[in-house]
Amino acid sequence: MSHLLDRLNFLTRKSVDTFSDGHGVTSSESRDWEETYRSRWQHDKIARSTHGVNCTGSCSWKIYVKGGIVTWETQQTDYPRTRPDLPNHEPRGCARGASYSWYMYSANRVKYPLVRSRLVKLWREARALRTPVAAWASIVEDPAKRNSYTKVRGHGGFVRSSWDEVNEIIASANAYTARKHGPDRVIGFSPIPAMSMISYAAGSRYLSLMGGVCMSFYDWYCDLPPASPMTWGEQTDVPESADWYNAGFLMLWGSNVPQTRTPDAHFYTEARYKGAKSVVVSPDYSEAAKFSDLWLHPKQGTDAALAMAMGHVILREFHLDRQVGYFEDYCRRYTDMPMLVRLVKQNGHYVPERLVRASDLARNLGEKNNPEWKTVAVDATTKNIVAPNGSVGFRWGEDGKWNLEEKNGKGSDVSLQMSFIEDGDHDSVAEVAFPYFGNREHDHFEGTDHDSVLVRAVPAKKVKLKDGDALVATVFDLFAANYGLDRGIGGANVAKGFDENVPYTPAWAEKITGVPADHIITVAREFASNAEKTNGRSMVILGAGLNHWYHMDMNYRGIMNLLIMCGCVGQSGGGWSHYVGQEKLRPQTGWQPLAFGLDWARPPRHMNSTSFFYAHTDQWRYETLSVSEILSPTAPEGPWDAALIDYNVRAERMGWLPSAPQLKSNPLDIAAAAAKAKKEPKDYVAGALKSGELTMSCEDPDDPANWPRNLFVWRSNLLGSSGKGHEYFLKHLLGTTHGVMGKDLGEEGRQANKEVVWHDDAPEGKLDLLVTLDFRMSTTCVYSDIVLPTATWYEKNDLNTSDMHPFIHPLSSAADPAWEARSDWDIFKGLAKSFSEVAPEVLGVEKDTVLVPILHDTAGEIAQPFDVKDWKSGDIDPIPGKTMPNVAVIERDYPNLYKRFTALGPLMSKVGNGGKGITWNTEHEVEALGKLSGVVTEEGVTEGMPKIETDIDASEVVLMLAPETNGEVAVKAWEALSKATGRDHTHLAIPKEDEKIRFRDIVAQPRKIISSPTWSGLESEKVCYNACYTNVHELIPWRTLTGRQQLYQDHLWMRAFGEAFCVYRPPIDTKTINAVIDAKPNGNKQVVLNFITPHQKWGIHSTYSDNLLMLTLNRGGPVVWLSETDAAKADIVDNDWVEAYNVNGALVARAVVSQRMKEGTIYMYHAQEKIVNTPGAETTGNRGGIHNSVTRAITKPTHMIGGYVQQSYGFNYYGTVGSNRDEFVIVRKMEKIDWLERPLSEKVEALT
Amino acid sequence: MANALKIISNLLSYPTKELIDAGPELHAALASDTVTGEREKAWLGALIDDLCGRDIYDAEERYVLLFDRTRAVSLHLFEHVHGESRDRGQAMVDLATMYQARGFEVDASELPDYLPLFLEYLSTQPQEEVCNLLGQTLHIISAVRQRLQKRESVYAGAFLALEVIADTKPDLEAVAQILEEPEDDPTDLGALDKIWEEEAVTFGGGADNTSCGPDRLRTQIRAAQRPAPRPELNGGH
Repeated sequence: MSHLLDRLNFLTRKSVDTFSDGHGVTSSESRDWEETYRSRWQHDKIARSTHGVNCTGSCSWKIYVKGGIVTWETQQTDYPRTRPDLPNHEPRGCARGASYSWYMYSANRVKYPLVRSRLVKLWREARALRTPVAAWASIVEDPAKRNSYTKVRGHGGFVRSSWDEVNEIIASANAYTARKHGPDRVIGFSPIPAMSMISYAAGSRYLSLMGGVCMSFYDWYCDLPPASPMTWGEQTDVPESADWYNAGFLMLWGSNVPQTRTPDAHFYTEARYKGAKSVVVSPDYSEAAKFSDLWLHPKQGTDAALAMAMGHVILREFHLDRQVGYFEDYCRRYTDMPMLVRLVKQNGHYVPERLVRASDLARNLGEKNNPEWKTVAVDATTKNIVAPNGSVGFRWGEDGKWNLEEKNGKGSDVSLQMSFIEDGDHDSVAEVAFPYFGNREHDHFEGTDHDSVLVRAVPAKKVKLKDGDALVATVFDLFAANYGLDRGIGGANVAKGFDENVPYTPAWAEKITGVPADHIITVAREFASNAEKTNGRSMVILGAGLNHWYHMDMNYRGIMNLLIMCGCVGQSGGGWSHYVGQEKLRPQTGWQPLAFGLDWARPPRHMNSTSFFYAHTDQWRYETLSVSEILSPTAPEGPWDAALIDYNVRAERMGWLPSAPQLKSNPLDIAAAAAKAKKEPKDYVAGALKSGELTMSCEDPDDPANWPRNLFVWRSNLLGSSGKGHEYFLKHLLGTTHGVMGKDLGEEGRQANKEVVWHDDAPEGKLDLLVTLDFRMSTTCVYSDIVLPTATWYEKNDLNTSDMHPFIHPLSSAADPAWEARSDWDIFKGLAKSFSEVAPEVLGVEKDTVLVPILHDTAGEIAQPFDVKDWKSGDIDPIPGKTMPNVAVIERDYPNLYKRFTALGPLMSKVGNGGKGITWNTEHEVEALGKLSGVVTEEGVTEGMPKIETDIDASEVVLMLAPETNGEVAVKAWEALSKATGRDHTHLAIPKEDEKIRFRDIVAQPRKIISSPTWSGLESEKVCYNACYTNVHELIPWRTLTGRQQLYQDHLWMRAFGEAFCVYRPPIDTKTINAVIDAKPNGNKQVVLNFITPHQKWGIHSTYSDNLLMLTLNRGGPVVWLSETDAAKADIVDNDWVEAYNVNGALVARAVVSQRMKEGTIYMYHAQEKIVNTPGAETTGNRGGIHNSVTRAITKPTHMIGGYVQQSYGFNYYGTVGSNRDEFVIVRKMEKIDWLERPLSEKVEALT
Repeated sequence: MANALKIISNLLSYPTKELIDAGPELHAALASDTVTGEREKAWLGALIDDLCGRDIYDAEERYVLLFDRTRAVSLHLFEHVHGESRDRGQAMVDLATMYQARGFEVDASELPDYLPLFLEYLSTQPQEEVCNLLGQTLHIISAVRQRLQKRESVYAGAFLALEVIADTKPDLEAVAQILEEPEDDPTDLGALDKIWEEEAVTFGGGADNTSCGPDRLRTQIRAAQRPAPRPELNGGH
C-alpha cells in the first residue's frame, strides 16, 4: 500500500512540542548561531585606558581582555556629571581611537629590541676585547667604523638584540659622551607629557639625573602661540569644550572642530541647538563650515587683516561713537589701555617708545621696591600720575599689593583714565608714526600702496620725568590710532567711515582678504553686540593653522584684541579657545619633580627645540630671509643688520634663550677649573666668557666639539611627523641619503654671519647614536640605530589629561606587553640600571656646571628693564642671571643614578615644591608617599626614601604632590598665592581639602580635578573651566609687566620689528621656488601653490595613518588636495601621482582634486609618512619625501626676547617656533612612478 | 620529538647562533624523519644549508626584513585571515584555549598564532590531528609560499614541505582570496598601488561594488572580517 496520501510532498512537520500549557516550546533547530554572540562578548576582564596620542581627546575606553589577549575596545560612558543644564561629556571617542587595538598584534608592531646589524657587529667585536665604554669609544672614534652604520640610516639592516645588550650599548654611549664631550650632548626629544606623563617622565628623569637635555616641543610644533605669553604671561590656557555651550556667539577661526576635535564636537552642535550664532572663518569649505550661519573665506594667511578690520568696526561703534559701560570698565581694570607710553622723536615725528615706569618720575612715585618695573597711569579723579597695584614690580620683593584692586601702591583708591581725547586732558596732538607692512611685494599676496610709515594724530600729555619733559599717551589712544580710527582731532591715515581705503577699515581689508566689507562689518557688530548683552559671552575657537604662519602673532593678537575690547576673556562662554596640542598637563607641579629629577638636583637642562634644530640640522646655513625684510621702518637705531642665527646667539648669550650643548668645554670640567683659578664657578664662567677662555657652543654649532651626540626619541615621530626641514635632518644631523636641492649660503657666496663661525664643509652626521622607542615601525624608527619596543596604550599604567575636559584619566594595563615590549618606565629604569653599572668605568660623583636662562615666573624675570645690552659688545659686563645666563653647579652621582631614579630624593622635604612663582612645603606629602608606596630599605644613598619602582608608584608621586589631585596641597598653594596678592583665595580649595585622588580612583572612574593657582580658571560646581577667570574674578594679576592683559609690547625688539601693536603683515617670501623651478623638467606643466598642512581625519598626526581601516577610509597612501582650477592649470586630474617640490626637497602623493579647495593652495594633511605606499620622487631619486620634506624652519627675533617678565624663557612657554605656512611648492604630474624595488647599491638617478 | 614539523618550527624561528651551529644535527634529524619524502627533505636540506652557511647578521637582517617587517609574509597566521578585524583577538583566544586543553601553556613572549609555535605544538600531536589542523591553515601556508616564491626566497621550501605534510590540497578559492588581499609589502609596492587605485565616482545606480564609496568600503571591511575558511568542510580530505 502506498503512503502517497500520508506523505507530505511540499511541507515538513516542524518537530515542535509544547509544555507548560503552551508557554514553553521545544525545538530541534540548531542553536549554533548563539555561539557567535557568546564568543562575540566573551571576555574575562575590562580595563580602562585611553590613547596616549597627541590629540586633545583623553577619551575613556573599555578594553576587553580574554586570556591575556586584548580583543577589542568600546567607548566608556561613565564620566562624572558636570553641572545641571550642561550636556553630558560622553560618549567621547572617534574612529581613529576605535581602531587602536589593531596596533597591538599588528605585523607593523616593533616586537623586539632592534639594532642596526653593522653597529651590533662592531659592538660585539669591540666588546669581546674591551670594557663597555672603551668598546663604544673604539667604534665612534674610528671614522670608518662610525660611517659604516651612520651612512646607511634609513636603509634597513636591522637585527634583533636582547634588552641586556641594547641597554649596555646605550648606557656606554651615554657614559662615553658625558665623559668625553659633556652630559649636555645627550639629548632627549619627547613631546606633550599630558598624553602619557609617566612615560614622558621616565625618559626625562633618566636624562635629568644624568645632566642630559630635555627638548621642548610645543614651540617646535608651532602650536605654542607666542602671542599668549606676550599678552597674558601664560603659555596657553583655554576654556574646556563644555564652555562652548555657554557662548552666545561662537566663531570658529581656522579650526575644524568636527574633524580634529571629534569627541568635543557635540558641544558645538548643542550650542547651535541652544541658539548660539556661529561664524566659521576658513579659506576652504571645511567640515566645520557647514555648521556656520556665515562662512568667511579669506585668502589664507591674511587673517590678521580680517581681525584688524573687525577691531576697527568694534572700536568705532562700541568704544568711540558710543561707549559701552561694560567694555569700558573691563578695559580700564583688566588691560594696559590706561598705561602711559613715552613718545620720542624720530625722523620729524614721534614714535611710541616704552611704557613709563615709576622710576622715571620724581622720587620714584614713592615706590622703593622695583620702581623701574612699575608701570604708571593717570588717575581720572585726581589727574595725578599713579603706579597702580598689580604690575610686576609688586610681584617680587614685597607682599600684598600684587593684585588688580583699583588702588595704587600706597593703598589709595584710583580709577585709571583710558584716554586723553577730551579737551583739557591732552596738552597737544602728537604726530605719531606707525609701521605699515601691507605694501610689501609678494608674488602671491595682494597688497595696497599705502606708505610704509603711517603718521596719525594722537592726543598726548606733557609730563615731567626725571630726565626732562616728555610727551606721553595712553595705550588706548595709541591703540585706536593704530587701528586707523579718526578721533576728531584731524590728521592723516585715519578713517571716519568703513568704506574708506585706509588701513584697517573693512574696505581696506576686503582688498587684502577677499572677504566682502559688509560681511566684516556684520560679524564684528554681532560679535560685540552679543558680548555687550551677555557680559562677554562671545568666543573664538581658533585653530593652529593661523599660528603656523611666520607672522602668527599678528593673527593671534588681532583676534585677542577683539575678545579683550569686548570684555570676553575670563568670562564664562567667552574668550580665546586655542586648542592645539594636548598641552594641558593638569598635575604639572606634582609631575615636574618626578620628570626632571627636581627631587635630586635643580635646575634641570632644558632646551628650546626650534633654535636647537635650526642650528644643529644646519637649516641656518640655507637661510634666505634677511632681517631687512622684516625689520620695521620705524625701528630705532641698532645693530639690526645680522642673520637670524646671530640673533639667536645674542639671545643665548644675554641669558634670554637656553643653550644646548652649552659650552664648547665639557661642563663636568668647569667646576675644577674654577677651583684651580680660586673663583666661584659663577664668577669664573662670567670672567672666562668675557676673556674668551670659554666659548658658548651656539657660536659654532658645526664644530665637532659642539655637536649633539646621542639622541633619544620616545613617544614621538620626530622624523616622520614633526621635523620641519626633514631633508636637512637627514643630511646634517643623521648624515644619510637626503633630498635637499638647494645650495647653502657658502656655495652661493652669501654667508654673512656676524656671530657664528662658518665652516665651508658642513658636517654630515652629527649624531653618534639615535635611539627610538615606539610600538610601531615609524619613519623615525626606520632611521634609528636602535629601536626599542614599547608597551602600547593598553599595556601600561600612566596618567593622561586634556584641556578639553576637566578630568584626569589613566592609561591602565589591560594585558602584559606583547613580545619583548616594555613600558617606557621599565625601559628607562632598565637603562638607568645599565648606566649605573657601566658609568664607574669613566664617571664617579661629578660636579656639573649648568647654564640656565633667565626664567619666567621667577624673581629673576625682572632682569633687563630698559635697554638691550650685549656683554660681548662690551656695553656691559657679563653678570650671571642679569646680563647672561645663570650658572649653577650640580652634583651628579653617576654610579648611583639607578638608585636615585627609583626613589624620591631629599629636596622635596628640604626645599619644597612650587610652580608659577609660588612655593609651598611638601614634607607631609613625602611622608605620605613613603607610607603609601613604601620606603627603600636597602642600604645606600636612598635608604628611607619613598620608593618609585613601578609606573603606579610614579603616578602616585604625581598625584600626591600636585594641587590638582591633592586638596591639601591645593590649599597650601592658594595660601602661598594669597600672600603675594594680599587677598584670600583659599576658599577656592578649602571645600576639597580632604580630597586625595589616587591612581586606583581614576581607574575606577575619571576624576574632576581640584582648582589650583597653576591655572587661571576654576574647577567648580558653578562654572565651566574658562581661562583667565581668576584674573577677572579673583583679581589675580596676569603675569605680565603691567599685570594686566598687555596689548602694547614695549620691548625694544618688539618695537624694532614693528610689533609693539598688532599690525597686518603679509606672509614672508621663503624664496624656495625660483632656484629649482626650471632645473629638473619632466615635460609636464607646473603650478606654484601655497603649501598648507592641516590636521587630518584619518589619523592623529602620523598615528593610525598606517592602519588599514584608516587607509581604506582615505586613499590608501599619501595624498594632497588641490582646487579644480589649479589642477586644470597643470593638467592634473584626480588620483594622478604628483610631485611637490622646492629647494628644500620633494614629496610625492596622489592628487585629490576638489571644489572644496581655495585656488592657490595645496593641502597635505599632517602627517603622512613615507612608510606606506610611497614611490620615489623624480627630482631627488629618493623614496617619497614627507610633508616636511618641502619645509624649513625660519626663526623670528621677537621670539628670542628674554629677561623681560612675560617675555622671559620658560620651557614650552616662550621661544622660537617652527612656522611653515608661508612655504610654496611647485606641483606637477609625475611622468615615471618608480617604486625603488632595488637594493640600495643600485641607486637610481634623479632628474637633472 | 625531532620530526619534520619540529625541524621546520626551528628553521622558521629567528636565526640564532645555536641554530646556525646545529646544521649537522638538523640534517641528521631530517634524514631519519618519517613524514617527509625525498623531495621535501631536499627542500628543507637546502634551507638548512642556506641558514647554516650564512653569516649570522645576514641571516638575522633577512629574517627581520622578511618576517618582522613584511606583513604579506607574516608568520602570524591570523594576520592573513583576520587582519585588523576584531575577530582576530577572539581567534587567538580560541587557539590558546586549544593548546591549554591539550596540556600546553605558551611559554614564550609570542602570540598563539605564530607559525613556529603552532608547528611545535603540532609536532607533539598524532598524525591525524596534524593533518586536520595543518589542513585548516593550508590556504594560508600556500599563499605565503607563493609570495615567498615570488621573492625567490629559500624559505619557500619550508612551506612547500608543510603543504605536502598536510597530505591534503588547499582550498584554491581560499588561497585566491588571501592572495587578493592587499600586499602592503615594502618590496612590492607597485602591486599595492594597483589595489588601492580609486575608480571614478559614478552617480546613480549600477556602480560596481568595488568602486569608490561606501560599497567599496563595505567590501573591504567585510573582507577583513571574513572568517578563516575551513577547507575540510568543503570536502578537503
